[in-house]
Formats: sequence, structure tokens, C-alpha cells
Amino acid sequence: MNTSTKPILKVENLRKWFSVRQGIFSFRNEDKYVKAVDGVSFEVFEGGSMCIVGESGCGKTTLARTILRLVEPTTGTVIFQDRSIYDLTREELGKLRLEMQMIFQNPFEVLDPRLRIEELIGEGLVIHKLEEDENRLRQRVLQSLEDVRLIPAEDFARRYTHELSGGQLQRVAIARSLILKPKLIIADEPVSMLDASIRTEIMNLMDDLQEEHDLTYIFITHDLAQARYIGDFCIVMYLGRIAEMGPMEDIIMNPVHPYTKALVSNIPVPDPDAKRDRIDIPGETPTPIDLPPGCRFKPRCQEHGVKCEDEEPELVEVSPGHWAACYF
Amino acid sequence: MVVLEVDNLVTKYKLGKRTVHAVDGVSFKIDAKETLGLAGESGCGKTTTAYSIMRILPENGFVDSGRILLDGDDLVPKTEDEMRDIRWRYASIVFQYAMNAFNPVLRIGKQIIEVMREKDNMTKEEAVKIASDLFDEVGLEPGRLMDFPHEFSGGMLQRAIIAQALACDPRLIIADEPVTALDVVVQNKILDLLRKLQDKYNLAVLFITHDLSVVAENCDSVGIMYAGNLVEKGSATAIYKETLHPYTSKLIGAFPSIIGPKKRLEFIPGSPPNLVKPPSGCKFHPRCPFAQDICSTEVPEFREIKSEHFVRCHFAGELDLGVE
Repeated sequence: MNTSTKPILKVENLRKWFSVRQGIFSFRNEDKYVKAVDGVSFEVFEGGSMCIVGESGCGKTTLARTILRLVEPTTGTVIFQDRSIYDLTREELGKLRLEMQMIFQNPFEVLDPRLRIEELIGEGLVIHKLEEDENRLRQRVLQSLEDVRLIPAEDFARRYTHELSGGQLQRVAIARSLILKPKLIIADEPVSMLDASIRTEIMNLMDDLQEEHDLTYIFITHDLAQARYIGDFCIVMYLGRIAEMGPMEDIIMNPVHPYTKALVSNIPVPDPDAKRDRIDIPGETPTPIDLPPGCRFKPRCQEHGVKCEDEEPELVEVSPGHWAACYF
Repeated sequence: MVVLEVDNLVTKYKLGKRTVHAVDGVSFKIDAKETLGLAGESGCGKTTTAYSIMRILPENGFVDSGRILLDGDDLVPKTEDEMRDIRWRYASIVFQYAMNAFNPVLRIGKQIIEVMREKDNMTKEEAVKIASDLFDEVGLEPGRLMDFPHEFSGGMLQRAIIAQALACDPRLIIADEPVTALDVVVQNKILDLLRKLQDKYNLAVLFITHDLSVVAENCDSVGIMYAGNLVEKGSATAIYKETLHPYTSKLIGAFPSIIGPKKRLEFIPGSPPNLVKPPSGCKFHPRCPFAQDICSTEVPEFREIKSEHFVRCHFAGELDLGVE
């Protein structure tokens, strides 16, 4: 992958708090918030593929949705190709979204079962009035099917979603994004629903497409083992904040943050003889409402000291390009 | 001591006039304290095998032939009433989605106690006492016995399900993707718990999963299924380190790992066969890179190639699968 040094996307101090209503009988107007994303900053470089990894409820999906402005942020800015996304009007945003596409986990829920595959793939072009000539539209749809290796394309174009397998449907979802010539694709658990072999097939396909179409990827996944094979840069999130980020192999081989260390040690490996030391994390992930002051991982951390009690640690560069939010 | 012996099990589903051969001649044994992992892709028949043992198949499914011996007693000819007696008391099942396994409008404790009172005719007080002890054992606060399912997290519910599965002191636990919906850290806690309880209560465990990493770390022996057949079975080390079946080696090769060198993963071209009309001969032959003429004409037998290492392949032991 030829990662350039030019950031295509810049996220600065992004926060997304959801207010929690206390019910109709609550007269005290004390607002409480679920701090789903709580001060996240990072950059994605052109041609790179970045993985955002974390457990359920760490805010990774909310982060993706906020970046695309599918939900409005509480504070913060997102700059995509030198334009601030939150300052755009509706129409400008609509145009910009062509260049930032999202792929979801479950293609069955994304694709309308009453439309033919060709209609599903051409839908974006029709809606945005990008291709009014019917013949050319069809050509582009077929090309797009071939791009995702659904061959013979004419045959697949005529079918409906129920005639395709899960892996094929995910290819349709990819083709549907690809036809709009995006620069950035955000994929939210794109292969979690699929079997191992098909999963690998889709991952390899996305890898090839990145080269062929000059794409930048943001992958959201809970599975660090999978992330290793699709990403070159990794962000580990815990409770709405970045715990650690850095080059993928660095994060997996030399994690610094106690949370990442524990997470990596807990991932199972397909080798019955690999004796690995597991680091336990006591308790369960709390809901990010009313978090105590200090480091948010402190209550479950094995290595915490006095300093962790009072102040939230900032991200510090521990080695070139490798950052961690921990005092130790 | 053998707790469960499945011998040449054939389970079919009726689909109108057609029949799906979901499980097609599967045989294995599980000892007390042993965990057998049954792994394979969606639709390979691993869950149908489990459901056949518990006889909880959907209405159009039936065991066609074969024997299922639980402590030497054949379950196949048993009536539904007799099966009711066996479920929970001799064999329990733990499902994937713990949140769906409990009735959401009944308190968890009540649902656990219900099972015990139905089976063992005990008083309510006795049942509550046992349920509290079980809660303690699976790492839940006994004080939360009477909570509703929505008040528990996914990991806690999975613990509660395990408590329920143990309530009547069974011999066999079938765990159908017990940790697939959980985060890795919680996943390991549940698996450790299962292992601890297995040792303590002398349980045989049939562990069903699609995740070869979880199988590798948690099972003593492993069976790999493809299109209704058990294609390879042996100790975990034998399966991963001395792989003999091409499908097993391909499947393992498709799995990402965080240890070892990073290389591009390989996938298996094509897709699993339609089980209404399975391919002739070896069911894997259309996708197998080593397939010869005999593979499409003759069904390979499930042979013991090395001690306790069974393979269903004409060329088992003769192929270079590229295993270390």
C-alpha cells in the first residue's frame, strides 16, 4: 500500500454525548449524558487503512456515524479533504457523501429485497443524477459488478437479493459504494457475519480494490486478529476515548496501554499448543454515564497509581507514531 | 468413561417433497471431563447434530438412522415424554444468544427454580438454596437471583444460563456457540468458568462453534464437519499440527491469528454444496485442489489413519498439505 503523508481525514477533539432522559416523573432537571465518544482526535492518511478496534460499547460505531455526520456531534471538528464537514449545508454534504461511503455489517438489512441487483447498485447514480443515459448507467453497473468479481455480471444484475449468498450480498454492498467513486470507505464490521473462508475472500477483495481504486479505508471491528490482516494503522478505543494508537504490528506485538495489553492477551489463536499468558480485566465495561474523575480504565486497571485518580491521561507518543493514554 | 456415543447419525429435514441430508453419518464419543469441539462453516450440520442429541429439531427435522448412546442408553427410540425427562437432568444445552434463552418477563431465579422443581420434586426453599449456590459458583451475586433478564449484561446472562444448565446435575452439556456474541475478555472468563465446572462435576462437553481459535484453546479433541459429514477428528494437536484432510487445512489457513508472521490469508474457492442434491463421491471434491477421478465416484470412508485420528479422504496421509 502506498500511504501518502497527506491526511485525507482529520478528526479533532470529537465528542458525542447522548442525553439520558430520567423519565417523566423526574423534576430535577439534571441532565445526564452517555459519553459515547468523548474527545477523540486522529488523522487518516490517503491510501491508508485504519482500524478502529474495541469492545461493545466503546463508541467505535458512534464515532464512525459522527464522522459521516449521520449524527450531529456535541463538539469537535472533522475535516475531510480540507473541508470542515460540520460547516456544510445539506446539499454540499450530500455531494461530499459521494466521496465518503459506508459499508455495514449486515447486507441483508441494507439492500432492499424488492429491487434487482442492478437497480440496487445503480441507485446512488440515479439519486444523485450522475448518469442520466440508461445505456451508460447499465454499463457502469456491470463494470461495478465485475470490479467486485461477481461474474458473469449480466447474470447477477438480473437477480434479487434472496438469490445471493451472504458473501455475494456483501460484494453487492461494496459495488454499490464503489460505483460512486468514493475516496474514503468506512466499513463497520463488514465481515463479522460471514464464515471464515468467505470472510477471507471479502477481506482480500477489499485489499485488491484499495489498490485498484485508490481508496482509503476505515475499518471498525471488535476482532483484533482480523484487524491485523486488513489495517496498517490501529486505534484501540475504551469507553469513548482512544486508549492507544499506532502502526498495527506495533500495537499487536508491543502494546503499551494496560487495556490493550489485556485485550491482545485475551484473543484466542488457532493453535492448541500456543501457551499464552492471559491478563485478566476484572469486572465488566461500565456504561459511560457519570464516569469517575481520572483515568477511565483505572477501576479495572492492574497497574494504576495515585496519579490515575485525579487526572485523565492524555495521549503521549511512546515511540514514533505510537501513542498511548497512560501515565506508565 | 464414555458419556456420549454418537454412532452413524443421519438427520434429515423435509422441505416439501425434497429432503435435506443435514447430518450424514456422524460418529464420535465423548468421555467424562472431555471436551469435544465440533467446528465447521454455517450449514455444515454441527447444530443439527446437537439438536438431534437433545431432540429439539424443528418440526420438519427427524433422526433417520443411527444411535445416540447417553451412558449406554439409546436416545433415538425414546418417546417425547422420556426425552423430557432426560433433558436438563442428563443432558443440558447452552445456547448462543443468552438474551433470548430466558423469558424476559419472568425473574431469572424463577426460571432456574422452575426447572429443578419440575425435574426433582423439591420444595421451593430447597430449590432457592441450590440456585443461590449455583449463582455463587458461576460468579454471580446470589442476591441478584430474582432480577429480570434485562438487568443483566450479556456475560452475566451467559453465566446464568450455565447455572441453569447445571441445576439438575447433568452428565453432558452441549454448548452451542456459547461465547460467540460476547467480547473477548468476557468470552475467556466464561470459557474458564465452563472448564472449571466441567472438572468439578465430571461433565462431558460437546462444544459447537465456527471459531477455530476458540476450539484450539478450549477443546481436548476436535471434529471438523463439512456438508453433513465429519471429515476429520482427532486430538486438538493432531488436527492443527498434523492435519490430514484438505478441507481442514484450508479452513485453518483462512483463519487470522495475532501470533506468527502475517501473511495473506487463503480462502476456499466456491461455496458449500446444496444438501438437497449433494455432490457424488466425496462432498468436498468440487472444491478440493487434490481431487482425482475416484473422489467424484466413490464416497471415502471415515478411516483411522493414526491412533485416534480419523479422516474421511481417499488420499489421507498421502497429500502434502503444507502443514509444519
